[in-house]
Amino acid sequence: MNGKDSSEPMFIERLGAPLGDLVRTLREIFVLLGRTVRTVASERADRREVVRQLFDIGVESLLFIGVTLGVLGVISLYQGCTQLERVLPDFSRAGATYLATLVREFGPVICGLMVATRTGSAIAAQVGSMVVTEQVDALRMCNTDPVRYLVVPRFLAGGPMLLMLTIIGVCISFLGGMLTARIGWEVPYSTYVNLTMVHSHDVVMGVLKSLSFGYAIPIIAAHAGLSAHGGSEGVGAATTRSVVNCSFAVIVLDFVISSSVYLVVN
Amino acid sequence: MIEFQDIHKRFGEREILQGVSLRVPEGTVQFIIGASGAGKSVLVKQLVGLIRPDSGRILLDGEEITHLSERDFYPIRKKCAMVFQHATLFDSMSLLENVALPLRKHRNMNDAEAAGHAQGMLELVQMGEMAHRMPADVGDGLRKRVAIARALTLEPRVMIFDEPTTALDPMAASHVDALIRRLAEEQGVTSIVVSHDLRSIFSIADRVAMIYQGRIRVDGTTDAIRHSEDPVVQQFIQGQPEGPMEL
Repeated sequence: MNGKDSSEPMFIERLGAPLGDLVRTLREIFVLLGRTVRTVASERADRREVVRQLFDIGVESLLFIGVTLGVLGVISLYQGCTQLERVLPDFSRAGATYLATLVREFGPVICGLMVATRTGSAIAAQVGSMVVTEQVDALRMCNTDPVRYLVVPRFLAGGPMLLMLTIIGVCISFLGGMLTARIGWEVPYSTYVNLTMVHSHDVVMGVLKSLSFGYAIPIIAAHAGLSAHGGSEGVGAATTRSVVNCSFAVIVLDFVISSSVYLVVN
Repeated sequence: MIEFQDIHKRFGEREILQGVSLRVPEGTVQFIIGASGAGKSVLVKQLVGLIRPDSGRILLDGEEITHLSERDFYPIRKKCAMVFQHATLFDSMSLLENVALPLRKHRNMNDAEAAGHAQGMLELVQMGEMAHRMPADVGDGLRKRVAIARALTLEPRVMIFDEPTTALDPMAASHVDALIRRLAEEQGVTSIVVSHDLRSIFSIADRVAMIYQGRIRVDGTTDAIRHSEDPVVQQFIQGQPEGPMEL
């Protein structure tokens, strides 16, 4: 006997508990994804609700995304050109390099993280508050599948809207960089706008990332909301969990898609 | 007739229901009382499949419904409507759309038909003039009335009320009580009412069951409850802070 309370969890149990939670959460998210895809395939979605979500996720995020990526373009080109000036004062590739990075990496990832923060938290809070105030039970009493009513419209709107936001964000960021390069280092517009470094696989990678983030965020956020319990504290916890899980998913998907495309291309 | 037979339900470490058995005869107003967290709402939600029991059987008119699938519960939810504690109106819909939703979903009515029918139900609960307002624009008592109208649209044979008079002023609470009594007397609707409201219990209940420590402690008429010699029951109905009840 070591004199310790036998009910106290052992070290290995304490270590395993978060892992168990992670596995359970992942399993639940995949089950929700499966139910959502099955519902999309078998039933007609509520068009009015889909349009509302297209507006909420896309149009309402436009200013936020535009300003963020515009400022990022200015800062990135400022930093890039400052470094270039010190090493080899040749700015002919500044625009081309930035555009390639934007298309395959910066654009989709920054948009994904922004949407994860803005839209993911909103979805978790809306669904979570419906759960704790029994509105989801009331939906079930009205023969309305909560997945069909709450998750499917957000899922259908997420993919195309994130792609659209990424395209607009990339354009604004590229323009922001162009103005910085022109004003700070007198790089001619015709030199800056150079598409030679953007290959087809960069575009494919960017599109794949945008779509996958756009479809993943509503599912992960809705899962956080649907698993809310308790009162307002439970909704707050669900919102936090949604932002963390969605941001983490964006980073993991980014890594998986980047490495898969590079493996295929090379 | 509704029967709960030896129902067990656990949430994590805590076994909320530890073998609850209860029979609710047709056309009666059955109250279920007990301390907060005793499992009253958990028990009634099992009747409509919103929560599934770990073990035990639930029978509705002699037919076992314990293990029905979500889809197979659809017809049961047409027969048994529920008014939730929080009124649970959908914030994005007007009061009229809220009441019309079950008609569109359960009876496949088109929008115009459902709206016409829903307007009639709102007038029944004196809410006809406010049909196009949003839930956020009306008070708790009025929201509850709309929730009752929504539950009544499908002409259910069983109504489940989860704390229907909580947070209502005495006038609004009396309205709700009168409605529950009228449904039983005029339409033979069986009502299961989860409540702490002793005034309601002793004015409209036919039978009262008390859940204590995961089991039915007592089940009988209001007179039987009032004159019960069980000190736990007496402590609860007299609202005494000190006594044998373990909270």
